[in-house]
Amino acid sequence: MNKTSDTTKDLSLALVGSGGAGVMTAGQTLLDAAAASGYYGLMTRATGPQIRGGEAAAILRLSGEPVECQDDRLDLLVALDWNKAERFADELILDAESLVIADPGQGEVPAWVGESGARLVEVPFDALTKEVRGARANTIAVGLVGQLIGLKGTDVEATVGRILENKGAKLIEAALAGLKLGRTAVDDLPQRQGLAGQPDQAEPRWLITGNDAAGLGAVRGGVRFCAAYPITPSTEIQEWLAAHLPELGGKLIQAEDELASINMCLGASFGGTPAMTATSGPGFSLMVEALGLATQAEIPVVVVDVMRGGPSTGIPTRSEQSDLDIAVHGAHGDAPRLVLAPNSIGDCVTTTQWAVHLAEALQCPAVVLSDQRLGQARAAIDPPPQCDWQANRKLATDELEDYRRFADTDDGVSPMALPGTAGGEYTATGLSHMESARPSASGMDHQRQLDKRRRKLEQFHFGDDWADIDGDGELVVLTWGSTTLPAREAVARMRSRGHAIRLISIRLLSPLNTEVLTEALASCRQLLIVEQSHGGQFHRYLRSRIELPDDTHLLARPGPLNIGPGDIVTAIENLDLEKVA
Amino acid sequence: MNSAVEQQIRILGHKDFKSDYKPVWCAGCGDFGVLNALTKAMAALELEPENVAMIAGIGCSSRIPAYTTVYGFHGVHGRALPLAAGLAVSRPELTVIATGGDGDGFSIGGNHFLHACRRNVNMTYLVMDNSVYGMTKGQASPTTERDWTGSRLSPQGTHQPPLQPLELALAARAPFIARAFSNSPNELARIMTEAIEFDGFAFVQILSPCITFRPEQLGWKKRVHEGFEATNDRAAAFAALAEDDGFTTGVLYRAPRPHFQPDQREPVDIETIEKRFEVRS
Amino acid sequence: MSPLKDLGSFLAHAVVLEDEAATRYRELADAMAVHNNPEVEALFAKMAGYSEMHRAEAVAHAEKHAGGLPDLKPWEFEWPGDESPESGRLESSHYLMTPFHALELALEAEEGAFGFYSSIADKTDDPAIRELAEEFSAEEKQHAEALKKWIAQYPEPPENWDDDLDPPVPID
Repeated sequence: MNKTSDTTKDLSLALVGSGGAGVMTAGQTLLDAAAASGYYGLMTRATGPQIRGGEAAAILRLSGEPVECQDDRLDLLVALDWNKAERFADELILDAESLVIADPGQGEVPAWVGESGARLVEVPFDALTKEVRGARANTIAVGLVGQLIGLKGTDVEATVGRILENKGAKLIEAALAGLKLGRTAVDDLPQRQGLAGQPDQAEPRWLITGNDAAGLGAVRGGVRFCAAYPITPSTEIQEWLAAHLPELGGKLIQAEDELASINMCLGASFGGTPAMTATSGPGFSLMVEALGLATQAEIPVVVVDVMRGGPSTGIPTRSEQSDLDIAVHGAHGDAPRLVLAPNSIGDCVTTTQWAVHLAEALQCPAVVLSDQRLGQARAAIDPPPQCDWQANRKLATDELEDYRRFADTDDGVSPMALPGTAGGEYTATGLSHMESARPSASGMDHQRQLDKRRRKLEQFHFGDDWADIDGDGELVVLTWGSTTLPAREAVARMRSRGHAIRLISIRLLSPLNTEVLTEALASCRQLLIVEQSHGGQFHRYLRSRIELPDDTHLLARPGPLNIGPGDIVTAIENLDLEKVA
Repeated sequence: MNSAVEQQIRILGHKDFKSDYKPVWCAGCGDFGVLNALTKAMAALELEPENVAMIAGIGCSSRIPAYTTVYGFHGVHGRALPLAAGLAVSRPELTVIATGGDGDGFSIGGNHFLHACRRNVNMTYLVMDNSVYGMTKGQASPTTERDWTGSRLSPQGTHQPPLQPLELALAARAPFIARAFSNSPNELARIMTEAIEFDGFAFVQILSPCITFRPEQLGWKKRVHEGFEATNDRAAAFAALAEDDGFTTGVLYRAPRPHFQPDQREPVDIETIEKRFEVRS
Repeated sequence: MSPLKDLGSFLAHAVVLEDEAATRYRELADAMAVHNNPEVEALFAKMAGYSEMHRAEAVAHAEKHAGGLPDLKPWEFEWPGDESPESGRLESSHYLMTPFHALELALEAEEGAFGFYSSIADKTDDPAIRELAEEFSAEEKQHAEALKKWIAQYPEPPENWDDDLDPPVPID
């Protein structure tokens, strides 16, 4: 935050509260209102383990320029109460420049807040609610923060009206009165921290979560069938598809478990309907056997794994990049598959769409590794680009004399006959088989089909989208997935300090484009690999596939605390920066 | 051959519905009778091979799709029902028949069986029950008698009572439940046609002897008897099962209800859906 | 529908009886091929060939019949047992079966067919049906007699004919 002026292009704030205080709704109202005014931003959530009434924090970053990851510190913290708020001490970083607004009637200021040196201002939210019948503390806080940071009052009011649309006129009236109370409370505050002027806006922002975005990418690519079993943090993809697939003539089944959901998808895809399921680590583990079947029987299917802390139940509500191993290697037998990772919330649309296209083109499973950090963040972004990746499966439709389902073609992709096509009748099988699909245990048939399935992935021209490569420099930061967000910001900060850095974010993790990656690293003298996993899975994977520079460093950290831009800046600062141009 | 004679032979099904694969089943296996009945049923219903899909998991009986001329899917162990449900729901114009054995359907795939019964997707489920795992050399299955000591894996018996698949199906709200015997292929074909024509999830338990690991099952021929009278009254069906010795054949329960349909909505185009993400001042 | 009902119905039974006999023998021959029992495979294939010839005869009779055949579903035939009587019993087959067993299986089938036709010849009031039923039952009797002679050429297999010192192998 710009500390010399009373406006800033970029502002981070959090609201904390518990017991149904409504901080999430308040946070969303602020984000949506800011987006309506043309700002960019995102909101992430931190919660306790309770289903209702738990302690919660809505963390927002608003900016005149695109932002998709949280900053390392907060400009503003609003506490409706302090119940168990210390749980969030690791995440809600305050300093002497921060402003804390708290209700003096709602408990003592926690030690971490007091010790931060942040300036504390008291606003009696609870007492204020007594002034208007039906007013709530969270709405008063929205009014206050909106006014404080300079959001347009009409945008805030319209947003509240939209969010409470179904709650009745009386409640909306009370909320609007609450907003007003909050706005006037600002007059008593000693300091204003406003967002800089409204950005130019060629087209309206999109408000979207990474999970919604993955759902959209799926239907853009042509997915018209989903079977899924609820699991945090992927359920919102399923819910989004449940709402939207039927509008597109598609179908969704809530399955009895993940074994069923992946197999239902395979059944639908066998019938020619592009199919997808969404899950997280524990569910993905259950799907591994069926993914091998999809490889062997060459049936396209997309699985979005919204990663969370693992192993086992792990930390369901927080992010980690620790499913890379299972996504790439989780199979018995030699079972190559596609593994892709979106590297921004908007990219969840594009990468999922690409995954559908690739799975269908290559008749194999594609795993999309999203994570909680992308999936459950709500962001105001520019609309993701339109691209023409569509499901376009090579079908056998005519002249089906002596049809061979697994014909050993040059590109390894064999035309697929769909039920309903006379002359194409065959039995798809998980057994090793001949070109005709007849089961076979012969070494020759086995090798031939293994070769064919490997070849189709190796020979396919994936184009330039396998990675985002940005900038030049002998120092390279190499990452994937959601850690690309803080890496982009960290690299930008270091560049502004005069360092030349190349940033590589790999989108197509498998098959890995080893040739071009090696080329991209040719002039690299120092490499920093960044990943959110305890075991350094990404680092190990890269080492297994390419020669890494001698001077390679690893920033690998497990969840639940997301790697932030500051963490990466520190890691870069700790390198020998004299060594690189 | 004139058309009447040709039609009479055609209705036996082997001309149109039996593939040229030689089954790997042991000579004398009950599953031959099931294949025989199945081709008869498909021919009697005048199905087109390309519009039928047979979906199976793993086990001796799960090899049956490749022995027919229809589309087939021989998937992984226990997952025939979800494969079939995905296909039947996404391609409702197809005739979808899931098949498998007692281990595939009631042990590793047991959960899917319960939910397939209550979900009521329009498809048929034929379980060839021989109370043994044949392809792994003869272990006890969920329908094996408690005192069967024929397996090295349970040399003192299973210590568990067997499952009664018809009771399970009825409890889990399957709308069509029947039992038949592999070695009465004509009667089996009749029950199969009724099951395939039924609009909804139709479950048929087929007693199909294992000549290799359970040769004593050749005696089933003498034990099997007709007796079920199709009813739509659950209490009557439960009462019939309380009296059942496990060898009563026929349609036990037939209570049609609308088959499973996922949500449907007014169609819109993707652009309209995408507009909902836009936020304006 | 009873084979006694009318000539068309009788002929439908005859055609299907022979067709199913042939199909079953082919099925048994295939099973023997899978289990590497070529001697019995060849024998069943030969039986299938005979049955196909008999089927052709039955078909020829059926085609001559001006009234055509009724459109019968498989379960609408009235057979004395669970299957058409000339279908070799599946449960009587075994991968180690010898020609002796195979011929016994065939004999049982032919005798079944003989019994079926002769019972119709006894019961029917329709002279056309009786004539054909007698002709067919005489043929089946001939087959049975021939099989009996054939069986006599084979020694009765030892008691332990189905011993297999190797255990069954796991497949899936």
